Amino acid sequence: MATKIEHDAAPSGEPLPDDRLREILYFLKLARYFDERMEALYRQGRLPGAIYSGRGQEGTHVGVTFALQPEDSLFPTHRDLTAQLAKGLDLRRVMAQFWGRIDGYLRGRDGNSHIGDWQGHRTYAVMSHLPIAYPVACGAALAYQRDGSRRVALAICGDGATSNGRWHEAINTSAVFRLPVVWVVNNNQFAYSTPNAKEFAVPTIAERAAAYGIPGVRVDGADVLEVYAAAHEAVERARDGGGPTLIESVSLRWRGHAGHDPAKYVPRELLEHYMLSKDPVKNFEEYLRAQGVVTDDDVAAIQARVEREFDEGYEYALASPFPEPGDVTKGWWVEDGYWTSEPGRAGGTEAG
Amino acid sequence: MATEQVEAGAAGHGAEPRGKRSEDGQATYLIAVAEALWEEMERDERVFLLGEDIGVYGGAFKVTEGFIERFGAERVMDTPIAEETIVGMSVGAAMEGLRPVAEFQYADFMSSGFDEITTVLSRYHYRAGVPLPVVLRGPSGGGVRASSFHSINPEPWYAYAGGIKIMCPAFPSDAKGLLKSAVRDDNPSMFLEHKWIYRRIKEQVPTDPDFLVPIGSADVKREGADVSIVTYGAMVHKALEAADALAQRGVSAEVVDLRTVYPIDEETVLRSIEKTSRALVLYESYRFLGIGAEVAAVIAEKAFEHLDAPVIRLAPPNVPVPFSPPLEDAFLPQVADIEAAVDRLAGW
Repeated sequence: MATKIEHDAAPSGEPLPDDRLREILYFLKLARYFDERMEALYRQGRLPGAIYSGRGQEGTHVGVTFALQPEDSLFPTHRDLTAQLAKGLDLRRVMAQFWGRIDGYLRGRDGNSHIGDWQGHRTYAVMSHLPIAYPVACGAALAYQRDGSRRVALAICGDGATSNGRWHEAINTSAVFRLPVVWVVNNNQFAYSTPNAKEFAVPTIAERAAAYGIPGVRVDGADVLEVYAAAHEAVERARDGGGPTLIESVSLRWRGHAGHDPAKYVPRELLEHYMLSKDPVKNFEEYLRAQGVVTDDDVAAIQARVEREFDEGYEYALASPFPEPGDVTKGWWVEDGYWTSEPGRAGGTEAG
Repeated sequence: MATEQVEAGAAGHGAEPRGKRSEDGQATYLIAVAEALWEEMERDERVFLLGEDIGVYGGAFKVTEGFIERFGAERVMDTPIAEETIVGMSVGAAMEGLRPVAEFQYADFMSSGFDEITTVLSRYHYRAGVPLPVVLRGPSGGGVRASSFHSINPEPWYAYAGGIKIMCPAFPSDAKGLLKSAVRDDNPSMFLEHKWIYRRIKEQVPTDPDFLVPIGSADVKREGADVSIVTYGAMVHKALEAADALAQRGVSAEVVDLRTVYPIDEETVLRSIEKTSRALVLYESYRFLGIGAEVAAVIAEKAFEHLDAPVIRLAPPNVPVPFSPPLEDAFLPQVADIEAAVDRLAGW
């Protein structure tokens, strides 16, 4: 199979209808606003734990997720909360997780963007040891291949995780069995502080696909529709039995690895270039205005909706009780029934 | 793929695994393991096997010989040499309703999948409430001159991770009944066969397809009055041999076979200690932080008022399993070592 490396992937299939385009804009703006507000709360000391900003990479996250059907599964990282929101997670329950509350998706067993909702939205609960979910995505894809459901698994990792042995293991295995899986690398150019040049010695990540005998494509993460088109093609190929695809989506991590990191190792000019010319949110908004898909009023309404939903989520999170401390050992074994019954709720945490 | 050339189901429904019982119906431990897998695959089509060289070749120890002809290459899946992916793929398949049983050629190589075992498999249900009915199985243990990389007893590494039920049976019937229970359990489990026992120990093994041994239940393999030897795996057989010799000298040793090392059946262990008031904890994992260290702690904490002597541990030193026969024999607890330890206890 020939390896295809494209820098300007042509959109495949039918163009997205206007309401889907407006929905994409909503998720882009939601992600940006959420990211900025959460960082502010973190800096004010009003948010416990950690934050992992996905700012500047929203085009990748929303673009790949919009290529999935609800029953397809998503295997994201801590950087990809936007993808989980676009997959349909309830913002209120996401925020309850950030504040360690019982109404969070993981009932307080994990925090921040180490989140998932497998039963509801087929998103895998994120783990830190990247790309730890890549082999797991192989297994889900194996099940889809066997049950004839034409479902697809899509896994995301960063450029840094491509240096780990599991990245190779999983992609190789998926190619051997032609599994219905899409491998997305969100290349934001830095693995914590380590730049691409110190992570790998090939010009692009996408060309590594040749080593596995699968298609590889490199797209501009600042262009959500370009990402979507590549992901859509890959997802539908996988659905039709055509096997896996590797997608490298290039962006820049605008913020540090985590909330504590000022990221002074990112060259100033590079950051300014990306913030000024490669802002996936601003670029898409301008594109939709130019296409006449949204008016100023539409954009203002979307922004108002995003801000209202954030405020509602914040209130919901703070009003949600903490988990019952006595439940700390529950859920260890399936038969204790913790996850199939209503959990204990500690009192005294009402808002206001 | 070579396995595609094998006609699935060629042996026909009702065929048997190629490893056969003896004419009088006795099964080795290895055959008992094969029967357990075969019966569970017949019973539940969600069960499938994956691992290295398990299909056409029939597995490094031939446990799955004959399986691919009956169940086909999809359910007897030869994988690339990629242990992290074998474990991770099992997790993903289980998340979508399948019941994978992953074979490791040697339990030593489970460490090549360590992160997927200890970070994903062991923790996912606690964090996210998704049951993972995954079985990881493979031959463990020393005594067969297989040296450092084919002899390990890895159970403490994975018991420490928690969330994975770990079985180390000593007898063919227990092996069969426990493995069948593991396949039917909705939790992750690790089934550590002992390669020294594989072809050495034979017995009449139940043929009822619903014969199960409960996970987390110890068994008293020999009743005794003076000393309890709490052990598991190949050491059970050493303990029984030592108990025979001790009986000739008038010392009555009880042998408690843990069978499952995580979670431990504390009740059966403590009941034995209440009876004998003396405990030798014998194990093949390392002495320092091995399974027996925890057993000894449980006895000290919960049976203190019953003890007439300090709890004694007998286990290998924390060094790699050596090759040269005199070295390996010095490394592993021997029957004479057990007798000496029991004598020390009986002297209190």
